[in-house]
Amino acid sequence: MKSFDYFEPHSLEEAVGLQQQGQGRGCWLAGGTDLLVQMKEHVRQPGLVINLKKIRGLDDFHFDSVTGLRLGALVTAREVETSPLAHQHYAGLARACTDFASIQVRNRATVVGNICRASPSADTLPPLLADDASLCIHGPRGTRTVALEGFCTAPGRTILAPDEIVTHVLVPAPAPGTAKVYLKHGRREQMELATVGVAVSLTMSRGRCSRLGIVLGAVAPTPLRVPTAEALLLDEEPTRDRVHAAAAAAAQACQPISDVRASAGYRRQMVEVLTRRALVQALEVLR
Amino acid sequence: MTAFSIIGKSVKRNDLIDKVTGSAKYVADMQFPGLLYGKTLRSNVAHARILRIDASRALALPGVKAVLTHSDVPRVLHAGSPHPRSASLSCDQYILDDKVRFWGESVAVVAATSEEIAEEALGLIQVEYELLPAVFTVEEALRPGAPLVHDLGPGGNQVLDPVTCQRGDVEKGFQEADLILEGDYEGGRPVPAYMEPNVCTCQWDPTGGLTVWISTQTSFMVRGIMAEVLGLPLNKVRVLVDHMGGGFGAKQDLFQTEFLCALLARKTGRPVRMEFTREETFLGGRTRHPARIWLKQGFKKDGTITARQARIVYTSGAYGSHGPGVTNVGTTALASLYRCENIHVVGSCVYTNTPIAGAFRGFGVVQAYYALDIQMDEAAVALGMDPAELKLRNAVREGDVAPSGHPLIGHGLEDCIRRGKEEVGWEALRSRERDEHGPVRRGWGLGCEMHGSSAYPGIKEQGNAIVKMNEDGTVVLFTGTAGLGTGTHTVQAQIVAEEIGVTFESVSVVHGDTDAVPWDIGAFASHTTYMGGRVAQMAAAEVKAQLVARAALQQAVDPSQIEVRDGVVSVKGTDRSVSVREVMMPKRGIPAPQFVGSATYHPTKSYSFAAHFVEVAVDIETGAVKVLQVVPVHEVGKVIHPVAAAGQIEGGIQQGIGHTLYEDFQIDLKTGRSLNPNFVDYKMPLFMDMPTIRTVLLETAPDPGGPWGAKGIGEDPIVAIGPAIANAIYDAIGVRFHHYPIKPEQVLAALQEREGGAQ
Repeated sequence: MKSFDYFEPHSLEEAVGLQQQGQGRGCWLAGGTDLLVQMKEHVRQPGLVINLKKIRGLDDFHFDSVTGLRLGALVTAREVETSPLAHQHYAGLARACTDFASIQVRNRATVVGNICRASPSADTLPPLLADDASLCIHGPRGTRTVALEGFCTAPGRTILAPDEIVTHVLVPAPAPGTAKVYLKHGRREQMELATVGVAVSLTMSRGRCSRLGIVLGAVAPTPLRVPTAEALLLDEEPTRDRVHAAAAAAAQACQPISDVRASAGYRRQMVEVLTRRALVQALEVLR
Repeated sequence: MTAFSIIGKSVKRNDLIDKVTGSAKYVADMQFPGLLYGKTLRSNVAHARILRIDASRALALPGVKAVLTHSDVPRVLHAGSPHPRSASLSCDQYILDDKVRFWGESVAVVAATSEEIAEEALGLIQVEYELLPAVFTVEEALRPGAPLVHDLGPGGNQVLDPVTCQRGDVEKGFQEADLILEGDYEGGRPVPAYMEPNVCTCQWDPTGGLTVWISTQTSFMVRGIMAEVLGLPLNKVRVLVDHMGGGFGAKQDLFQTEFLCALLARKTGRPVRMEFTREETFLGGRTRHPARIWLKQGFKKDGTITARQARIVYTSGAYGSHGPGVTNVGTTALASLYRCENIHVVGSCVYTNTPIAGAFRGFGVVQAYYALDIQMDEAAVALGMDPAELKLRNAVREGDVAPSGHPLIGHGLEDCIRRGKEEVGWEALRSRERDEHGPVRRGWGLGCEMHGSSAYPGIKEQGNAIVKMNEDGTVVLFTGTAGLGTGTHTVQAQIVAEEIGVTFESVSVVHGDTDAVPWDIGAFASHTTYMGGRVAQMAAAEVKAQLVARAALQQAVDPSQIEVRDGVVSVKGTDRSVSVREVMMPKRGIPAPQFVGSATYHPTKSYSFAAHFVEVAVDIETGAVKVLQVVPVHEVGKVIHPVAAAGQIEGGIQQGIGHTLYEDFQIDLKTGRSLNPNFVDYKMPLFMDMPTIRTVLLETAPDPGGPWGAKGIGEDPIVAIGPAIANAIYDAIGVRFHHYPIKPEQVLAALQEREGGAQ
């Protein structure tokens, strides 16, 4: 590991100031479970590391039945995993946080960190995207809120400027009649990167599907929402045939690659199986 | 002996407190004043001649103390695994060569004041290569006119001349057969993935003596070859091994770092530590030998095997390492397990420009019995028989010739199969109704194996032990057996305590210092109990004889009247008893005696047996296979420490599940580059992936060569689990796999192919 300067600012302004002084060569540290590994393996060699843990308010974990869920940048995956509220209203996210790495890692790794890492196989991104989450971003020009969709631009890349911090993730409150499922395909129970991940967030009203998010992980450069699949079910009765057709459309839409974990063809087949299973499970929850 | 005091009891391991409190010191934990850190520059080409190495920029980096390349080190041709008594070795390695033969081979080393500086220095060394054509597969290596990995050896990229094992007349056997089965089987490239990466620290003293702290299974072999290569007498090389984080056979080899570390320490006059990164344990470590097996057998209608013919080809990678031993053991193994009078088996081992295969738990037999046991299952289906019945009918037994050439003792394999059938209710399982609803199909499979405890006859082994009794009746065992983490020092202390008749707690064990303990061949070949335990027992018996003689004199009775048990000496048929301590105590100003016993033991071979009964669940939509439960039945002669024995079995099953379903170290077949030398992409099953395991230990075929009949257990479990899983997958979905690892993707493709064929 190369030597670096280390800071523990007490406010967002101070943090952004440090980053500007460092001409954007700094890295934010929250959980550190990715950053430290990357530094040890020379993937990243920051000139300064700015620890966000001393900044007040970043450990927010708040749910309101009208405004929804608000998670600060320091909220860990383990906090979500062990939260009854998360399980009740954001079952997909809670599942993703449970399937993620190991308990030891989840005790440190943050949800916002997982978002900003922008890994194609990130577990928390598909359920958050399926739920239409958005992000609060603080930077030199103040605070802005952006949709999560479009935030990740390529593997490891986001629209975030070096001197900006994602302070919170916001997830709308679920409408009555909503079910959420995240299914992860990997070889192991834990300590696994998804070969394929599928999140479904589905709302039924009067026997028809009134809102639907289907998002695929690990089968495109960024997590992929599949409107072509969603369209086959929206405003429709979710019959067996329509569910199968939506799963097939999801498989059609994905852009997987072949690597040591799995071939593109297999990933595509798994998208179909997992999408169908996720939809069926969501409908079963609502039955 | 009527009843045991300590043998058969799961006493508290003597390394337990050290390990659970974290006070156990491993080599990388040891601090030395002035320590330098050594790092290795590894090749990024698979086969090349080194034209030029420029280390001047590295040497100029502040903190860099030395750089060594092939032109700076002694050019001594040596064996990667220099077993002093091995019948077959491949002497094909230099400390550093002017050629590289696989992607990731050592090219140069650096010693610096910090790991970071050493690493940075590696990036400053410039190497100019002349690329040579390379061979990455057996097919490429055996093609006429193929590029040669070595100029040595029998030629044609063969590590050794083919090994043939023959008896009877296979042609006649096939003529008598009612059914002939023939198939190709393939074993992948798993790695041992021990917890503790390879590590050593070297320091020279002012008198020219070298001390080596190292994680190795074979400290005396390290001493021997380092002394030879560095031109030192044996008393000037001291090798120290304390705690180890596993080895699984691979840490029998030297990894070039040992020599280089010593040379860096000599050059700089400071202690130097070289520790592999996890990635280096893949690149510069040892893998299991990938293998191709062609197997053909003839059967009578009643299941009798009339002939067995096979060709087995092991891939050695860039160096011979244990290739000769693995080829001999694996080839001869195919002549056993299931009885057959007409055998013709040929084994060979081939050099390729890939990472080095070496010794690894199961030693060539994992591959061989994977093929043989699966083909037995196929035969049972073709003959309309129960596979367990077919295997039982053909199981080797008392008097049959073992792969080692010895007659087998007892009926261990039959006992394992019979007991396992009872444990799982096999008959009922065979006739159960299948649940065809939903995407999950369940299946049961049986896999069998036998494995030798000791490397005889390939290596004429020798174990030594010294036991001394202190003046208070406590006992010290000096053993050369390395403790890989298996609990062997606990087992040996149990044996010594039982033999003398003292408590387990009164025996301590000195190990891992080549200056202090007697010579040992190393901890491998499932022999630490069979050989190390037996020789400890022999040395303990000598001390006991001295103790009994002294007690008899004190009690004025014949020595045959003396009994020693749990630290108490009593006179038979009387109520007279004294403690061992009292017998030993100084008397009237005369010091206590010093009782020392020593023994040397040259074991031959015994065989342990196992039958694994396995249930799997196969998801027919994803191809995922989950092992639900395993009932391993092992016949081990005598159980010394039940929990340690079960631990070996559970660990072997975990590693075997990994081999069969997950683990695959992949090499790019265009460049020779390693594709997944890390734990992110090289997957092993973890605790949460483990099935329920209900272990049964049998003591029905004790071997007189081991302590109280005890045989080995270390390697056996990893051999049986593989074919058991493959056979269970067949039972679940009716698809037969001939290779490992069996990946979900392949399961799904096979199912879809069958569907396509049916349409």
